[in-house]
Amino acid sequence: MINALQNTKLLSTTICVFLVFQMLWAKPDAFKDSNPCIHSYHLEDFFDFCDTCGCGSSGGSMGYGTGLNNYFIGVRYIGQQYRSRDGIFNDSPWITENFNTMQVWGNVPITKRAILNVIVPYQQHNRVLPDQTEQKINGLGDISVLAFYDLLKRTPDSIISITPEHYFQIGAGVKAPTGKYDRANNTGSVNPSFQVGNGSWDYIAAMNYGFTYRNWGISTLLNYTFKTENPKQYQFGNQLNYGINAFKTYYISDLALTPILGIAGEHFEANKEYGAAVPNTKGSVFLGKVSLEASYNRIALGLAGMVPISQQLNNNKVELKHRLSVYVNINL
Amino acid sequence: MKLNLISTAILFSLIMVGCSSNDTTTDQLTGSGSISIKYDNGYNGNDLIIGAANSANSNGENLTITRLSYIVSNFRLVNSTGEEYVFPKDESYFVISQEADLDNVVLPEIPAGEYTTLKFGVGVDQEKYLQGAEGQGDFLALAESHHMMWSWQAGYKFLNFEGSFTSEIVTDDTEFKIHMGSHGSSLDNYKEVTLALQTNVRVSDEMDSSIHLKIDAAKILVSSNNIQLTEKSVIMVDEVKSPQIAVNVTEMFEVDHIHNGDGHN
Repeated sequence: MINALQNTKLLSTTICVFLVFQMLWAKPDAFKDSNPCIHSYHLEDFFDFCDTCGCGSSGGSMGYGTGLNNYFIGVRYIGQQYRSRDGIFNDSPWITENFNTMQVWGNVPITKRAILNVIVPYQQHNRVLPDQTEQKINGLGDISVLAFYDLLKRTPDSIISITPEHYFQIGAGVKAPTGKYDRANNTGSVNPSFQVGNGSWDYIAAMNYGFTYRNWGISTLLNYTFKTENPKQYQFGNQLNYGINAFKTYYISDLALTPILGIAGEHFEANKEYGAAVPNTKGSVFLGKVSLEASYNRIALGLAGMVPISQQLNNNKVELKHRLSVYVNINL
Repeated sequence: MKLNLISTAILFSLIMVGCSSNDTTTDQLTGSGSISIKYDNGYNGNDLIIGAANSANSNGENLTITRLSYIVSNFRLVNSTGEEYVFPKDESYFVISQEADLDNVVLPEIPAGEYTTLKFGVGVDQEKYLQGAEGQGDFLALAESHHMMWSWQAGYKFLNFEGSFTSEIVTDDTEFKIHMGSHGSSLDNYKEVTLALQTNVRVSDEMDSSIHLKIDAAKILVSSNNIQLTEKSVIMVDEVKSPQIAVNVTEMFEVDHIHNGDGHN
């Protein structure tokens, strides 16, 4: 009964959040276009370019969840550093770009087996151009909403179980073009991903599988984002993310410490403009991950670092340096 | 719980509303727009910097370039149905100069459409030259001010490539000068370049676009024809080497990328 009450509360919060989004999208002067989807809900005249890094803010291979707890709400910070060539030559100067994403995220139970996953990102990016001018952009990023269904569910307190406890979730959802594209960011030929949103409605299919045995565990994730053409007839390439993590939980009185080791990968198809593939836009990156989660009662604090093991992004014109993530969650 | 399910369903339908019609609008390109062509000079894959030493070419020659200028002309664009648009000839002569930062050719009022191929000439064609000094308009003065003329009788320099070099044999830093042109009307070195665009360039009233060309100046010496500076370091009026260089120059242009809409450089 208490659980049900709690769920209702959370749900109403979620509804509120959605209503706010709806209001944000419904910018009056955007209604002049006939296409109800793409044109009506945009904040600004944003278009193209956001292939690999900046706006892939939702989950990517960092995951839509923590892989440890099924239900939570919290905040997560993701810091990414890239460098990209400012120019078309082999020796064109590198520019360092910092992509900072602050997310409100949650995995909220809807029914006994259905989970609503929401990620609302706020982006703050900066880079220093070769002439030493600094460019900063910030704003609401692209919001994603997914529904997961537990095909296989762990029983609570599985730690005392003597047989492996498996879980298996499948999910689907959308990524809305709530992030804004600013044309001015695209002067010059530096990394075109320096944007807070990619301008399109994208569709996500996801699945998570894992098991725990005593205090050991494995978690895996696989998700695919189908990206659509945005109002400026630019279409970002579809994206495949995967990851596998191994962890062990140590208990020190009320504190649970979980070190996690993992690998993850991201694969991007070529972007398209006016239906034709754009050169130097596909790529992939394979990463190693080290992470630690500490939880006390219902509070979980997580730290994760990711470094590329191998990569080939934008024909090597863009390089991922590292990713860092910190989150504080309240487990439900 | 049932209530929750229903609310969720409503929420999702709210989000998805309207997203089903993802019509691919085959938009009409109407009116006209400008196409700019950026000549981004490089040397063997690296950026070309005036006065900076470059890596050795396949002849073992290390070049330091102090001047790279050339004339491009007679711009034409072929559209997706195969029709060729010829940019007005009188306005179709440009100097590209590394030292003067002249690297952008802007062609205004190109009829709306999708173009698949860019064609242009390197140098000044005989037809134009035979119009006499008056027929050259402002271009004569422009060419003169950028060291692209010998004299009116001798004609235009289509390429002015200067600097210094060393090689295994020539160990002292030695000046080189390559001035290639048509030498009046006796030797015609005007050549044309045809570049297929890997992405169609689109232009309309709403859309100015750009073609970013990557130039490999190393090909001036080493391409279809192999020109050794060690053998001859000043090439001006040379009935053998000048035509060979003219051919090499046509091979130094490559399309790097297309930027459709809101032309960047």
